[in-house]
Amino acid sequence: MPNVFGVQVFFIVFRECLEAVIVVSVLLSFLKQSLGQPHQDQAIYKRLVRQVWAGSLVGVLIALIIGGAFIGVFYGLGHDLWSESEDLWEGIFYLIASIIITIMGLAILRINKTKEKWRIKIAQALVAKSKKEGNRNWLGDWGRRYTMFLLPLITTLREGLEAVVFVGGVSLGLPATAFPIPVVTGLLAGLLVGYVLYRGGNAMTIQYFLIASTCILYLLAAGMFSKAVWSFQFWQFQEKVGADVAEAGDGPGSYNIRETVWHVNCCNPEIDNGWDVFNSLLGWQNSATYGSVISYNVYWIAIMLAISGMLYEERKGSLPFQKAFHRSFFSFVGKIPGLRRYAARKLEASSQNAAHIVSQVDADMLAHGVAQRPLAEK
Amino acid sequence: MSKLGSSSLLQLLLLLTTFLLAVEQAAAKTVTYDFNVTWVTANPDGMTERKIIGVNGQWPLPVIEVDKGDRLIVNMYNGLGDKNATIHFHGMFQNTTSNMDGPSMVTQCPIPPGQNFTYDFTVNQNGTYWYHCHTDFCYPDGYRQALIVHDKDAYFNDEYEEEFTVTLSDWYHEFVEDIQFLSLYNPTGAEPIPDSFLFNDTQRSSLPVKPNTTYLIRLINIGAFVAQYFYIEDHTFRIVEIDGVYVDAAEADTLYIAVAQRYSILVTTKNSTDKNYPIVTVADSDLLDVIPTHLQLNNTNWLEYNADRPHPDAVMHVDLSDELVPFDDITLVPHDRMELLPEPDFEINVTVSMNNLDNGFGYAFLNDISYTAPKVPTIYTVMSAGELATNSEIYGEFTHPMVLEHNDVVQLVLNNGDSGSHPFHLHGHNFQVIDRAPPFGPHFNDYLSGDPVPFNPSNHSAFPAFPARRDVFVLPPQGYFVIRFVADNPGVWLFHCHIDWHLSQGLAMVLIEAPLKIQETTHIPQQHYDVCQAGGIAYKGNAAADTQDFTDLDGQNKQVKSLPSGFTARGIVALVFSCISAFLGMGFIVVYGLSTPLVPPEKQEIDTSDVASIHDGPVPVTVGVQHTVEPASPYRD
Repeated sequence: MPNVFGVQVFFIVFRECLEAVIVVSVLLSFLKQSLGQPHQDQAIYKRLVRQVWAGSLVGVLIALIIGGAFIGVFYGLGHDLWSESEDLWEGIFYLIASIIITIMGLAILRINKTKEKWRIKIAQALVAKSKKEGNRNWLGDWGRRYTMFLLPLITTLREGLEAVVFVGGVSLGLPATAFPIPVVTGLLAGLLVGYVLYRGGNAMTIQYFLIASTCILYLLAAGMFSKAVWSFQFWQFQEKVGADVAEAGDGPGSYNIRETVWHVNCCNPEIDNGWDVFNSLLGWQNSATYGSVISYNVYWIAIMLAISGMLYEERKGSLPFQKAFHRSFFSFVGKIPGLRRYAARKLEASSQNAAHIVSQVDADMLAHGVAQRPLAEK
Repeated sequence: MSKLGSSSLLQLLLLLTTFLLAVEQAAAKTVTYDFNVTWVTANPDGMTERKIIGVNGQWPLPVIEVDKGDRLIVNMYNGLGDKNATIHFHGMFQNTTSNMDGPSMVTQCPIPPGQNFTYDFTVNQNGTYWYHCHTDFCYPDGYRQALIVHDKDAYFNDEYEEEFTVTLSDWYHEFVEDIQFLSLYNPTGAEPIPDSFLFNDTQRSSLPVKPNTTYLIRLINIGAFVAQYFYIEDHTFRIVEIDGVYVDAAEADTLYIAVAQRYSILVTTKNSTDKNYPIVTVADSDLLDVIPTHLQLNNTNWLEYNADRPHPDAVMHVDLSDELVPFDDITLVPHDRMELLPEPDFEINVTVSMNNLDNGFGYAFLNDISYTAPKVPTIYTVMSAGELATNSEIYGEFTHPMVLEHNDVVQLVLNNGDSGSHPFHLHGHNFQVIDRAPPFGPHFNDYLSGDPVPFNPSNHSAFPAFPARRDVFVLPPQGYFVIRFVADNPGVWLFHCHIDWHLSQGLAMVLIEAPLKIQETTHIPQQHYDVCQAGGIAYKGNAAADTQDFTDLDGQNKQVKSLPSGFTARGIVALVFSCISAFLGMGFIVVYGLSTPLVPPEKQEIDTSDVASIHDGPVPVTVGVQHTVEPASPYRD
């Protein structure tokens, strides 16, 4: 059975899609609350809504084109190069994949936070634009007029490219057949969850879903990390042995006995059907080495430590000593000539009130440049 | 009786003795060789100059030549400085002198540097033999050469004018000890690939011949690993001897000579001196796991009719060596017409296999036993065990001992569970080869396509009436062979694969033939024990060097443990810990996922907002935590 479902691909597409959907939904809700009220100009509102949708779709389209080319080139050129010392490359790919998943994985659990983050970011962008009123030029004018088009375009493009890069990175070891299904299902799942979020469905159910999928994601990543170490070791062994290892199948001689923690003469994920699923999900190896077992456990311990740290930060506002470090670091930077302003901005930003920024967003800004006469001059 | 009478009798006796001695001297002489074994350098293939084991400062080594019935004495001095050595005189029966046979830890201790060892025995046999070092990783470094026993009574003596001795050999550029063969990184036990092949320890040489003349060519494969095909372009020849046994002349064009095998052939030259003919030797590439591009598998030497004419290279007609069809040696008929031995009194039935043991090295097995040398050379155990010598247990479990009764007919069935062919050699005997499958020829590798085929006693081809006898016989891939011999030569005899790599992997077993007779007939010189002492090796006691209780084998050398199968304790512990940490980790993720963002007070707010969003259009659609900021919005109301 060829590998037709790259689980890691699914999760990355899902996650990036979800983020894009959230940005779009934030924009739409901004529009609705600022301009979509019954007493306001429905024509402008509808036009802006259309701009948001058009922007998102164009962004997705461009991302798809670039991504397709990227993956095409990647598979066209890359695979021949790597087949020579497959296990070394596999190890590197797995390591990259596991790092990527680890970094982005926990963020899914804070997808609501992401939404908030985007609200602030967008608000900041809008406020900043309206403040720069003074130096108007042709480009700025155009940009202002199509803010509601450009913002979602850039966002979806960004998320799309991110997805492409991540999917590329995570799935370097996968055959091309492993892509289509998880990409499509990942997109659908992302859209669905995003829509449910937008509609304000049962938040708890969504959260459970996210928790479950994050657990799977980290099982994957732990397996990959372990598999990466295993591949490096196997590669080393193979280098010393020569071509004979491949010929040995899964019996004696196919593994380095000195490194082996367990070995069963079956269930080789590369030969026996079915076990490759365990391999990609849990990092199963019929021949486990000290390296692969220890790295698996170390990975989970690291995750536990990271989560503990993040929980502490959320409860107390910062990691122990972090606040003090942040302040002292930037006040130190502030003493360096030339960096004073940068440091001041950093110090200011951290204490800025997010709610304040959001509250500055008003109908004027959103509709700015869209109507015949700029609303601001009305 | 009178004084005269007694004195005349004495005179007669004296006369008789002198006469007998004179006859003896004329018929059998003593041939003595002094071997000072040292390192020399040589470059036999013109590719790499290397250190080689030489004798008296020379290499190639001297060919030992004796006449049938001679006493041969070889005084060996190990001047290598860093390496043990011995000499095995391959094919010699060593009747009553099993202790002169040569394999270390079987019939003697390895001779350490700086020690002398005298081999002294009578050669009551004829034909083509060879000698070589018989300690681990030794003879491929050059320590091997022909041993010829001339026989004035050979039936073909009148048929040839001149004789040549031709040795064939594989050749390594590295020291055997430096080649990492028994290694974690050679798990399949892939045999090291030779760097070249030699013909009389050189290459591209010529045998000068006259037209219309018959020559006896003695062919010996003195290699360590690779069998070679042999033929002479446009010539046929007659086989007259194999491994020291004269056979009825048999016409042949191609021979397959496995390591340690010998053939004597009569070649009659053509009636013209126009051309020189290539003598072609082709390495059996089926034995090689990989064939490096630089390795020349077929080599040309010449039957040189005219030194001034060109020496053409052989034209190969086959792509692979196994397409050559060699003469099947089992069809030869011994010239003495010795009949098929009767049904055996004792049968040994063993199967060859290869596997890895717990240290990751590849080993070879006969019935799951990989020969592991005992602490005391087996013959010394025989000599020191008294009555207990007939108990095979005392020789240790891992020497795979078999005690044979004097004059028993022994049948040895050797099945091959391995996909390679193995030239098996029995010390101290030549044996009747009575069955083999598949036969030499185009079907030799046929059993490779399925499971190994063992010998079936109730269904086999008819045994020949006058079976060929030899001392090295090739076991086909996944096939079998059956041999018979009479246990009439008391001694300790090794039965082993003659591929030196396989011997080091333990593809051997030891036969202790009529142990009580050995004690009676064998005398071990003090010098042999001195050599043991110099090397710090015990020479009394059982395989575990226990001199008190011979049946107590505590401390015997054992083969490495088998590979653990499946999950061992540490595997289970590792798996359990991995599962625990995975579950704990996921627990943390769940806790994190359920924490802050959904703390109860905010959750209430979500609910109201949800209701609001459905019923009051203008209220922005939001969920979750952002409501903490929402109230600040001027558009709230």
